[in-house]
Amino acid sequence: MADSMLKLNNITMQFGGVIAVDDFSIVVKQNEIVAIIGPNGAGKTTAFNCVTGIYPPTSGQVFFENRLIVSNYPNKKMKALYAGGNKNFPKEKVCLTPDKITRLGMARTFQNIRLFKSQTVFENVLIATHLHQKCNLFSAVFRLNHQQEQAARKHAMDMLEVVGLLEVKDELATSLPYGQQRRLEIARALATKPKMLLLDEPAAGMNPQETAELAQFIRQIKERFRLTVLLIEHHMDLVMSISDRIYVLDFGRLIAHGTPEQVQDDPKVIAAYLGEDEE
Amino acid sequence: MKVFKIILSLLLAIIACLLIFFSINALDLSALLKEIVPLETMQQDAGLEKAVKRINDCLADGNQNRALRSLNRLLDDYPDKVHLDVQTKLDLFFYRNNKVMLTLGVYVLFFSAALAVSAFLKQQKHQTAVLVAILVASLYAGIYIVEDLVGVNSMLMTVLKKGAIYALLAVSMNLLNGFTGLFSLGQAGFMLVGAYTYAIFTIENTSRAQVYQYYQGGLVQFTLPTLVAILLAGLAAAFFAFLIGLPVLRLKSDYLAIATLGFAEIIRAVLQYDGLGRITNGSNLLRKFTTFNTALFPFAVSGICIALIALLIHSTYGRSFKAIRDDEVAAEAMGINLFVYKQLAFVISSFFAGIGGALLAMYQTTVQAAAFTSAMTYEILLIVVIGGMGSISGSILASFLFIASSEWWLRFLDNVTYIGTFKVPFFRSGFRMVVFSVIIMVVVLFYRKGIMGDKEFSLKSLMEPRKGGKRRG
Repeated sequence: MADSMLKLNNITMQFGGVIAVDDFSIVVKQNEIVAIIGPNGAGKTTAFNCVTGIYPPTSGQVFFENRLIVSNYPNKKMKALYAGGNKNFPKEKVCLTPDKITRLGMARTFQNIRLFKSQTVFENVLIATHLHQKCNLFSAVFRLNHQQEQAARKHAMDMLEVVGLLEVKDELATSLPYGQQRRLEIARALATKPKMLLLDEPAAGMNPQETAELAQFIRQIKERFRLTVLLIEHHMDLVMSISDRIYVLDFGRLIAHGTPEQVQDDPKVIAAYLGEDEE
Repeated sequence: MKVFKIILSLLLAIIACLLIFFSINALDLSALLKEIVPLETMQQDAGLEKAVKRINDCLADGNQNRALRSLNRLLDDYPDKVHLDVQTKLDLFFYRNNKVMLTLGVYVLFFSAALAVSAFLKQQKHQTAVLVAILVASLYAGIYIVEDLVGVNSMLMTVLKKGAIYALLAVSMNLLNGFTGLFSLGQAGFMLVGAYTYAIFTIENTSRAQVYQYYQGGLVQFTLPTLVAILLAGLAAAFFAFLIGLPVLRLKSDYLAIATLGFAEIIRAVLQYDGLGRITNGSNLLRKFTTFNTALFPFAVSGICIALIALLIHSTYGRSFKAIRDDEVAAEAMGINLFVYKQLAFVISSFFAGIGGALLAMYQTTVQAAAFTSAMTYEILLIVVIGGMGSISGSILASFLFIASSEWWLRFLDNVTYIGTFKVPFFRSGFRMVVFSVIIMVVVLFYRKGIMGDKEFSLKSLMEPRKGGKRRG
């Protein structure tokens, strides 16, 4: 418990009558790489969005470094509609907004890349340094924060160097090839100086060689910035090679978890991915 | 090369100082007259004495121009009697061309300063900063001179004054619509708040009884200094924006447009409400408040305001605004609080809209709430779109072009014109607006993103590589 970085307690997310995530609980310890896998539509990204505060879950709690960041129980019309597996609702309602959660030290990337389109690669990263600039409007306008600004620019450059995008720093973000856009998203997330990094399908659309490079890269930044990483992924090679533990979701339910070897051999997982034989 | 530059700039500086020195110290006409026509020569000729007396009379009346004309005639009439050596000739020349020489001196000084800067400062950044400062200074000097040459009330100055005010209004709207990506249609409402706040607090006390004749002289019985009142106008508009933003900006999508459009319509009606008459003068005009009589004033105020907005946009706050425009979800994930930053952009934009409204009131010399219709908002929105969403210099450029063509360049289309005996078809009152609309459509068709797109005018295109240029109106 002491070294748990992120803890999800009985998260249920219900959209109208559809239960996207049902009674989902995980624990991520410090300095771990944990993966959530599952077929399309299993509710992986929904779980991510609940954790990062994009929308509150219908029921359940999220702790980040043992601090309650998200907590909700079925209310209003959800009270009658609620069909989740878990009936022990938390008492309080806490919904930190995504920016506050990011300030606590949790940064994320997006499945469908969300870069600031009209800005250059460098500016994209520079924006992420804003939350560490301690200046008010007045000092920002009259450039009294000159030193901070210099430090922020240097930090942004460092992050670009880490992901190897220094040569293209003045290009428009959207003009980069797909793989580099993914890297830029990671650089942007790193620029917020996070303790924990949430990666939503970082290898989507990459070829096997790029995927292998990415695995190497994730391990590298994890060591360098002492990060805890939670990732969603489809590429089995990537997940199996870098994860310490894996959670498997299917139709919103947790069907298996354990080390990569344990999960690989689990009949339920194989059934979920390959389809069950129905005689 | 460096030595050459320094020597040249020193030479120019000396010339400039001489020019400025001579034009400031130019003899006044009565002293000059004594030099040109010595007392003995004058007493010998009755006609000459009469002419000199006429000039002195004109001077006593304060009519400089007529005095100068009389002097010219005197010089023509008595070429052999007058005493003209090199010294007096020079004095006369500087007296006649006082303003032009002064300007020339100032410009040469600017030029030599620019030259010295380029010689001494190594860093590109400092160089360009100083060059921009010099450019802006010479722009203001230019306006001062042109105003002196063509007269305050000429069409050119009218266009420049209104253009400067609209530039501020357009840039403040661009801050919200172009840079933060929030669509607001309340510009006229915030301008109205600013204009009324300014007008109410600067009407001279002695005129209040006359202005508020239907409302027992009004409630406010004191007058604030002009700049304080302008600041207050901005703050009043910002306050209303703050109130509107509280509920509306928490919602996603374009509720702001609806709320601000509604606000603009409501505030226009409220300010004309009879019950508030002792403050707002009901639906009557507000007049006799402090106005400006030189174009330098609106240029200075909107120049400073636009510079502040430009500084804001290039600061870390401005980057956050642009992030919100590009992708709200990603911006939030980068630790930017959407509500706070949207509210901030909205309040700042309205603050400057309020100041712009105060300037517009000064320009018009009277204000009436009924004139601040939503058409005014659309006019400014049009300027922003034509100039380019997300370009400060585009907005400035477009507002001058817009005002110039709607007030001046297309005027001739409204007059019935004959070429010989041929009556030009379509030229009649109102045709100007038809042509104007067509021009706007053409601009929108061929420049999809406005004249400047989201680029800025910069010295880069003129000389060396440079990023993020600013230009002030």
